[in-house]
This record gives sequence, C-alpha cells and structure tokens, in this order.
Amino acid sequence: MSDAFIKISNLHKSYGLGALKVLNGLDRTIARNDRLVIVGPSGGGKSTMLRCVMGLEDIDSGSIEMNGESYISTGRNGKTVINRALQKQIGMVFQHYTLFPHLTVRQNLTLAPVRAHGISPAKANEKAETLLTRFGLAAKLDAHPSKLSGGQKQRVAIARALMLDPKLMLFDEVTSALDPELVFEVEGMMSELADGGMPMMIVTHDMNFAKNIATEIVFCAGGVIVESAPPQAFFGAPQMPRTREFLKTIRSGGSE
Amino acid sequence: MDFHSVISNAGQLWSGLIITLELSALTITISVFTGFIVALLSISPYKVVRLPIRTYIEIFRCTPALVQVVWFFYCVPVLFNVFWEPFTMGVIVFSLNLTAYNAEAYRAAIQAVPGAHGDAAVALGLKRTQYYRFVVFPQALRLAVPVLLTNSIGMIQQSALVALVAVNDLMYESKALASQTYRPVEVFTTAAAIYFVISLIMSRVVEFVGKRTRRLIDAR
Amino acid sequence: MTYTFDFAILWKFLPVIGSGLLITLQVALASIAVGAVVGFFLAYIRNYSSFIPAAIATTIVEFLRGVPVLIQLFWVFFCFPVIFGIETSPFFSAFFALMMYMAAICSESFRSAFATIEKEQWDASVALGIPGRVMMLYVILPQSLLRAAPTLLSNAVSVFKESAIVSAVGMADMMFVGRNVSSATGHPIEVLTLIAGVYFVIAFPLTRAVSVVEGRILHRLKL
Repeated sequence: MSDAFIKISNLHKSYGLGALKVLNGLDRTIARNDRLVIVGPSGGGKSTMLRCVMGLEDIDSGSIEMNGESYISTGRNGKTVINRALQKQIGMVFQHYTLFPHLTVRQNLTLAPVRAHGISPAKANEKAETLLTRFGLAAKLDAHPSKLSGGQKQRVAIARALMLDPKLMLFDEVTSALDPELVFEVEGMMSELADGGMPMMIVTHDMNFAKNIATEIVFCAGGVIVESAPPQAFFGAPQMPRTREFLKTIRSGGSE
Repeated sequence: MDFHSVISNAGQLWSGLIITLELSALTITISVFTGFIVALLSISPYKVVRLPIRTYIEIFRCTPALVQVVWFFYCVPVLFNVFWEPFTMGVIVFSLNLTAYNAEAYRAAIQAVPGAHGDAAVALGLKRTQYYRFVVFPQALRLAVPVLLTNSIGMIQQSALVALVAVNDLMYESKALASQTYRPVEVFTTAAAIYFVISLIMSRVVEFVGKRTRRLIDAR
Repeated sequence: MTYTFDFAILWKFLPVIGSGLLITLQVALASIAVGAVVGFFLAYIRNYSSFIPAAIATTIVEFLRGVPVLIQLFWVFFCFPVIFGIETSPFFSAFFALMMYMAAICSESFRSAFATIEKEQWDASVALGIPGRVMMLYVILPQSLLRAAPTLLSNAVSVFKESAIVSAVGMADMMFVGRNVSSATGHPIEVLTLIAGVYFVIAFPLTRAVSVVEGRILHRLKL
C-alpha cells in the first residue's frame, strides 16, 4: 500500500542462539491512521514485535521499512543495522515507568531533547510545560519521581516520549503494573492522543480499552500474526480457530 | 628481561614464601576463633565487658596496620621487658588486627539473624543456650564466611608489612634479592605473581568449602 | 631496663609530626580523588564495554586487589625507571600505587551501584534517542555516585590508612616521621602512640560518618 508508514517484512527473531524462536516471519504494514492493539498469549511475540520496531532488539532476518526507506535490516555479517535518524520518529513507553529516578520531572522531560537532540533548553522547558499543562500534570513539574503515583509516573513517561514529536507511539503493557484505580488516568491520556491523530501500537491486557481505542486488533501467536480485524469483527466473528481458542480463554477470565 | 637471576635464587624467595604462609596460616586460623569470641563479647549486656572490647576493635580498625606493626615491634619489648622472636610478634599483632575485623563480621552476621527466630525458639521451648548453638551460630557462620574470607585474603596482603620491620618473609626476601641482583622488574614481578596466585587459590578453595558447608547447614 | 616516659618531647617534635601529617594528607587526598575517577571508568568498562576491553579491565582490577599494595609501591618505585626510563620520585610512586589501589576497590563499589540501575533505563534511553556517552554522563554517573557514596567514603578511609606504607620509599609522611623520631629520641611509646592517635582521630569519625551517609542516602533515594 502506498500510504504505508511502517512495513514489517518477514521478521525473524530468536533468543539464545536460535534456541527460542520468538518471531517467525512476521509481516505487517502500519498506516498513518492505524491504532493497532496487539493481543495474544504470553510469549507469542507481542512485546518483542514492539521492541523490534523501536530498535531495541537485534533481529535474525527480515526488515522494517519506514516511508519506503530502509529502517531496520541485517547487514552482510548478520548484524542488525538501524537507521538512527528514522528511529527518532518512534517513541515508546514501558511497563515499568523507567523515569530516571535521580532527576526531577522537568529534567526527565528535557534531558533527551537538550542533551541528545540539540534543542535549546529554553524551548525544551517551554514544551515540557505545555505538554504537562495539557495533561494536567503541570503542578508536578519540579517534583521527583518518588513523589508521584504510579499513574502519574506513567503519564510523565508518555509526555517524555512526546517531547520528541514522535510520528508513532508504542505502548508496551503500560497499565499492567498499575493499581486498578490508576489505570483510568493513563488510558485517558492515551485516548486523548488517539483523538489527536497519533498512530500507535499498543500491547495491553485491557480488552475493553482495546475495543474502544483500536482501529484494528492484531492477534499474534507463535511469532506470526494469526489474524487481524477491526474490533467489532475481531471479537464478534473471529475467523481462525486459534483466535477463537484465545478469545475463549479471555472471556472465561474476564480481561486477559 | 632475564629471569635467570630469579630462578637461580629461587631458594631465597622460597624461604620467604614459607615464612609468609606460616605467618598467614597461623594468624588466620587463630583469628577465625578469637574473632567469634570477641564478637560475642562486643554484644555483651555488661558495659564493663562491652566498652573495652569495642574500644579495642575500633583502635585496630581505624589505625594503619603498619602503625600497629611498628608500634608493636618497637614498644612491646621496651614496655613489657620481653623479647619475643619477630615472627611471633608478627603473628600476635596481625592476630589482634584480623580478630578485630573478624569480630565485626561475626557481629553483623549474628545481628542479621532474624529476631523472629528468637520468638520461634521460645515457642518451641528451646533454652537460650540451645537457641544460640543451634539457630544463631550456624546461620551467623554462613552469613559471615564471605567477609571472613575477604578479611583473610586481605591479611595475607598486609602480611607483607612485616618486611619493613625486618621479618624475612616473601616481601623482605624479594626486596633483598632485587637489590642483590639489580633486577627489580623480574624479582618483584615474580613476588607479585606469587602473592596473586595465593589469593586466587584461597578464593577458590574457600568458595568450594563454603558451598559444602552451606549444603550441610541447609540440609540440617 | 627501665623505661622513663617523657611526654615533653612530643611537644618539641610537634611541628615535625605536623609536617608529616601534611604529607600524609596530600598524598592520600590526591590518590583518593584520582583513584575514584579511574575506578569509575574501570567499572564502566567492565560492565558496559565489549568483551576484550572488559576482560582487560577485570584482569587489571583482580591483580591490583590480589597483590599487596607494598609490592605495587616498590614495583612502581623500582621498576618504572627500568621499564619506562622515567625518574620516579617517592611522591609519584606513592601517588600512583595508592591511586591504583583506590581505583581497584572503587571499581567494585561502582559495579555494585551499576547493578542497582535497572536495565529498563537503557530501554528508555534508546527509545529517547539518547546516545551512550550522554547516558553515561547524565543517567549512570549521577545515580551510581549517589548509591556508591558510602562505600567510596569507606574506601577513602582505607586508602588513608594504607598511605602509611609510603614511608617505605622515603616519603616523609607521619609513619616515616614517627619511626625516625622514635629512634632519635629513644621514646617509641610516646611518639608512636601519638602517631597512632592522629590516624585514629581522623579515621574513626569518618568511619562513623559512613553509616550516617548510608542512612541519609537510603532515605533520600526511596527510588
């Protein structure tokens, strides 16, 4: 498709020198208005897929293109080659906040722009204030992460990624480690981003949230994409037997 | 580089090595036991016992080993009108030193045994002495072994200081040999390598012994 | 043989002892400062570099910790001129040997501190496009300094005590002065006890301070 933003082709990845195969020839294109929620059994490759797209993992073979340009591929001796300029366009938030604990919220937000991307401190600070005000966290600007709740930390982590104007946001189980009452504020922020047109790839266990935010649900198992469809179709009329099996397990246990 | 001079004088280095090993072995062995006793004394409920013991420990931990050695060698003969062989004095002063460090290691280990065990012991009807013997000591020993090991290896390094008060250990002999042969590089490198190998062997041996003891203690 | 105590000589030789103390502090502080920095880099290389540099750094540290500092001191003093053709003053040898000792023990402290920095912070840095050097300077260094601070302090006390050996290569530090004055006056007990006392008065409070620092840092860092 010509308006494909990201194109994953035949991605293979294993751990332990081939002992554990996690991605088995994954193929997927992501368009500019896609919001994909990736679901599937543990170890099926969901997080790994996200991490590969972010460029955090080496791949065995295959490639990822961005806007037709080569983003991630394997070089002559099998080493993974990552185009850093393109990598900058992707932002990622993780399950365990990973805010830098020794820096204030402000410093967390401005560190990368100022020290790694050549943005002036004044502009970075301005942007930090704007972002936090937009998401209701302005009061926490000069606080230390240890003074924030889990939900607040996660929202700051999202804001930190947004500081770099990413064109795609990846969310790796960002609410899984939160107390239930804090999940709502984080998902609310993600919904706001969605309303603003941000393409995203989300791994989550919250099926209700998935139904609301996704343009498409992607079912990933055994290292390949088994089935993908818009939420209504996916949950209502799953095509593949494997998908149906999986949906049975979540239905019986509530959200996965 | 010419190691010939080292090889032909190996006997000299060897006799120095023997002294170092004897000194270290005696000191370490003594201090494993005295350290425990001193540790128990340092947590005694009686101030009369606790305070002097604690003072002794702090003095030996907060002054340089060399100062202790020199003080001992110069002052004890004069102070107490005794004459002991330098080797014996070496063993005594290093034992005093190592005991102090070991005592701290034991004390930390004893105090790290969870207090909840004391409650359990009462609930099970164990007497105080039985509690210490069967519950505290084994656990404290296991906890303390790594630090005791580090301390002992450290002591072997410090033992080289006796060379400066004319005890003819490995350090002393290598310095003498280096001057004799005008080959400091070969001589000192060899001496350094010997100390290094001793450290290495000790770490491995006690690691091995530690694993066996742990299994024994855990099995009980 | 009876020994008559004469405490007046202490007063007489106080200036000499004072200058010895000065030398001790100079060489100790210089070694501590530089050694801590070198120790950080050794630890960083051991933890975060590729195999060969890491192996080299590890071997260096293992050697420095397994060999008496006295030999290292003599090695620098006697062998450097032979190998490198440079003149080694007592101060240089003392500084170099003590500095490497501090570096070796500090590299252990820093490595423990690194272990407490979660792997996830690396992921976050990559995701934010922060290159290795920036991450080392602004993320790893501050955190490991904070966490290693109590151990670094106790390492400094160890080096301070170890500094007494520099008397063996002719540095006029407190130990050197102590031995000389003892011999000269024939009153080793008073003199050496005073020397020991000075070392103690410096080392003891610092040792106590380590626990205090530890407590306050743990309190600050409810990370």
